[in-house]
Amino acid sequence: MDEELNMKSDLWEIGGKRLSSRLLIGSALYPSPSNMEDAIKVSKAQIVTVSLRRQAAGEGGGNAFWEIIKSMNIEVLPNTAGSHSAKEAITTAEMAREVFGTHWIKLEVIGDQYNLQPDPFETVRAAEILIKEGFEVFPYTTDDLVVAKRLADVGCKIIMPWGSMIGSGKGLMNPDNLIAIRKQFPDLQLVVDAGIGKPSHATQAMELGYDGVLLNSAIALAQDPVKMADAFRVAVVAGRLGYEAGVMKEREFASPSTPTVGTPFWHQFD
Amino acid sequence: MIKVSVNGEVKEIEEGLNIHQLIEVLEYKVKGFAVAVNTTFVPISEYHKKIVQEGDKIDILAPVQGG
Repeated sequence: MDEELNMKSDLWEIGGKRLSSRLLIGSALYPSPSNMEDAIKVSKAQIVTVSLRRQAAGEGGGNAFWEIIKSMNIEVLPNTAGSHSAKEAITTAEMAREVFGTHWIKLEVIGDQYNLQPDPFETVRAAEILIKEGFEVFPYTTDDLVVAKRLADVGCKIIMPWGSMIGSGKGLMNPDNLIAIRKQFPDLQLVVDAGIGKPSHATQAMELGYDGVLLNSAIALAQDPVKMADAFRVAVVAGRLGYEAGVMKEREFASPSTPTVGTPFWHQFD
Repeated sequence: MIKVSVNGEVKEIEEGLNIHQLIEVLEYKVKGFAVAVNTTFVPISEYHKKIVQEGDKIDILAPVQGG
């Protein structure tokens, strides 16, 4: 059944790569590196986010994690998490390109420390410069249509609006905004990034016509991250198939699905 | 000797060191890292040319898990 399900997942292209999985997952917050490895494998995700941080001179702590990721034959998407200005994000991106050997960058410039909301002005500024430097920018943004427009204007081919606040697990707070962005940019790759807490949230994002979903906490903080990775794998495929199949239009009133002609015992004494 | 900041810690180092020499002096063992001086990226190809100055803020970053 699993193989059959995977076969139904169509190929898509993002950042110049043809992939079969539309699930992008983070590598943080797992109970252990081996649990992370198992969860990534079970999820069938082909893109995994990573980061850069200061490490003390004698530490080798980052190496074990990085060795696992390198051995997995997956695409890495470094982020600029922790950046609060375009300048910091650009420097982090340049460092990530050298360390990870990829021109892909998940651009994340935080504008508010309380809700970790992206700074739209600095994000657009950084995106414009990074694209000129040859990066494939995956910008993390809010669900604001005008910000998405500005990102597209400076050359972003991928836009990643949030579902809700990072790590909140609240799901899609403003589905209408996400629909508006999808309608406005039918040719861009759109990925819902952040806020997804349950598999049904991922399905909902995919049903809206989003090309993929990116999440971390929902899997890593589950009681059983490996099983949850499997749940998200199935949820993303289900949502995509639902979108492709074409969801029925909502109706204001009830409408019987069983034929009314020939209904037995109905009005027989009238 | 000059004082610089390395990953937020003040260090006293010899004057005139380039980035390559600085990494050796620090005995930095983490494989796969990148360097920024005063929040500007210094590519590997520039290590021998970039001389560390008094008060420089040096960041040496290595891979970690990320979301």
